[in-house]
Amino acid sequence: MRRRSGTSSWRAVALLRIAIIATVALAWEMLAASGLLFRDVVPSLGVIGSAVVRLLADEGFYRNLLITVGEIAAALAIGGLAGVGVGILLGANRFLSRAYESLIYYLGPTPKIIFFPVLIMWFGVGSGSKIAMGVLSCFFPIAISAAGGMRQIDPTLIRVGQSFRASIGQMIVKVYLPAMREPIVNGVRLGLGVAIIGTLLAETKLSNRGIGYLIIQAYSTFDMPRMYALLIVLFTLAIGANAMLGGLARTSSAAPVPAATGMPVQ
Amino acid sequence: MSEVRQTNRRATLPARLGPRTVGLATAIGVIVLIEVLIRIGIINRFIVPLPSQIVGALPRIIAEENVLRRFAQTMQELLWASLLLALTGIALGALLYRFRLLRAACETWVAALAAAPIVLMYPLFLVIFGRSATTIIMIGFAAGLAPVILKTLEGLTRTRQVLIDVGRSFRLTPAQEFRKILLPAALPSIFVGLRLGLIFAMINIVGVEFLINFGGLGQLINELAERYDLPATYGAICFVILASIVFFDITGRLERWLRPNE
Amino acid sequence: MGAASGTRSLDVEHISKRYASAGGPVTAVDDMSFDVGPGEFVSIIGPSGCGKSTLFNIIGGLIGDYEGRVAVAGATISGTHPAIGMVFQEESTFPWRTVVDNVAFPLELSGVPKRERLERAESFVSLVGLHGFGHRYPAELSGGMRQRVAIARTLASEPRILLMDEPFAALDEQTRLLLGDKVLQIQQQLRQTTLLITHNLTEAVQLSDRVLVMTYRPGRLKRVVSIELPRPRDSEVVSSAAFGRYVAEIWQDLREEATRGIQEDESRVLQRGRGK
Repeated sequence: MRRRSGTSSWRAVALLRIAIIATVALAWEMLAASGLLFRDVVPSLGVIGSAVVRLLADEGFYRNLLITVGEIAAALAIGGLAGVGVGILLGANRFLSRAYESLIYYLGPTPKIIFFPVLIMWFGVGSGSKIAMGVLSCFFPIAISAAGGMRQIDPTLIRVGQSFRASIGQMIVKVYLPAMREPIVNGVRLGLGVAIIGTLLAETKLSNRGIGYLIIQAYSTFDMPRMYALLIVLFTLAIGANAMLGGLARTSSAAPVPAATGMPVQ
Repeated sequence: MSEVRQTNRRATLPARLGPRTVGLATAIGVIVLIEVLIRIGIINRFIVPLPSQIVGALPRIIAEENVLRRFAQTMQELLWASLLLALTGIALGALLYRFRLLRAACETWVAALAAAPIVLMYPLFLVIFGRSATTIIMIGFAAGLAPVILKTLEGLTRTRQVLIDVGRSFRLTPAQEFRKILLPAALPSIFVGLRLGLIFAMINIVGVEFLINFGGLGQLINELAERYDLPATYGAICFVILASIVFFDITGRLERWLRPNE
Repeated sequence: MGAASGTRSLDVEHISKRYASAGGPVTAVDDMSFDVGPGEFVSIIGPSGCGKSTLFNIIGGLIGDYEGRVAVAGATISGTHPAIGMVFQEESTFPWRTVVDNVAFPLELSGVPKRERLERAESFVSLVGLHGFGHRYPAELSGGMRQRVAIARTLASEPRILLMDEPFAALDEQTRLLLGDKVLQIQQQLRQTTLLITHNLTEAVQLSDRVLVMTYRPGRLKRVVSIELPRPRDSEVVSSAAFGRYVAEIWQDLREEATRGIQEDESRVLQRGRGK
């Protein structure tokens, strides 16, 4: 009100974005053509573009994508269920929370990939260890979000459920979960992000299937255009999935939800 | 009657001991349970070594594997990454604040960056920087950048209008306004962002050290695993996890100490 | 307007401020004119929403784009000006600076060397009664103490005109009365020309030489009341019959405006509801 606020028209914003992208693309092309870096480290955009097209036409890519997506989905399902379950328990009971929640809180921001050798021993070299890696990654943010979500439930709602003598199962499904929708969706959003990372890193380390495997394969055969293509597609999918979940979170409340800059957990 | 009294006493014992003690006791109890289960053969001791063995391996690791040197190596990589984070992240955040159009154009990009699995680019960084500390530092930097930028931007934009008005009533130049009002007002948020960035960086640095088998602590675990030295591997993993917990805690305390006037 | 503009510290001439809003053009301030003489304490009182804060921002130079003229000692000013010191209604101390560093702020800006500016700042800190609190942080102080720091900070810039926007609004009654006393004391001591925006009747009558009553939106000057009460305005004066008469007189005008304000608010809410 006191300061004159200039609202940027969407046209100006769009123009600036195009300008930035164009400048970066130009700089890239110049770098590619100059040969300053070892050849192929910076392939021209055209080469990368055709690599993307080739990738998306490759049946093998989709086979591996399916495997990776399957692993991530399984990891999210297991980790999500366990995380929500533990979170509800911790959020509901103050004693349990004070006894165990800091354990989960402190174990969250640690590098989980170092557990991979152990997981291989326990679950084998196949998808099992990758899924386990994903579960280990996503359990923590989901549990923490769920615990917090439980605590912010309006106690009146809980009393309403109790006054109707709902069973534990009914309370969870009909009162707790709906009331916790937003924190859980946000937790799952974070969890998805770290599950993707955990699963894929595991695939890059030791696997013969999956997108992570394809990336390392491209690295070892020094097929740089293919590596760029894989990374581009992967990032697009990951960011897209995160945005979709963000949209989901938004429909449960009026305010827009910020990106995953919450407490890091991996 | 004595039965009733007994049940009451049993019920209040955990409550009286305090939840922290119970938590600790559970952890110890689980470890003891695992030890027992392995000894009686229910858990395969070639997959899970005896906890006692793991503990026994720790001094061996420290002595033989130059844990201190490796720790210093990891810390050095982290230090470089933090320097880059602080300089670049805060500067970019300030830049986005200063130029509103730029902010409108780029803020969602930075937010998307925060959600992107940056560390998965490590093979690319390997090609560009080689199997070196530079790769590790750059991954740490890239992974931690987004929260620093976003929190710096948030801190600056959340400066209370009245403080800016005070500055205007004293006719501050834009540079003075930034230095004397905006930056100090944003500092608490900037510290939060730096801590987040540092933690992201630390996690990814150790992770990439493990993956590319180069560097400090992460490499240690990889080596021990490849040697099939089970107790040592488990021990090293526990050690690194403990170190990262301490790191998380210390940075938390540091952040709280740096903002006493909130 | 009366006397030649050179003798008046602050001249406000035909100030109008209009702006566009969702419901059409709104006039916040409509053709207000008044002046403040050197060493005078003038209060502007009006109901909530009457545009007095807009007026505050216009005179202080934080809002441009208005009709009319603001002049200090005869010279027209536009935008913020060193001759006008502002004290805001909200919490405005810098939480990251100590009390004395807060107060030294304007001196720092003018390049006064460190030792001297700390000394001068300390004198203003004592002036507002916070002697000994120089090295504390605002977070350690109460709301009233923080406002005193804000006042000291503005006084340290030695403005010709002190412009205050409901500085005591957020404080409880007792603190407000005590602070009001303090401000009056300081004003008399420094012979500081002061323009106070307030909605508190007692405060206006207690502190001012003249009280200007504003109408509800659009804000116009409804009445000027000269307060002919002896100074110092101690508790005896405040509880005197004359004081009560001034309060009642101003309340007459104010009450009309306040009632109109409430009615217009209600009708606006009703209209909005019907529109849905």
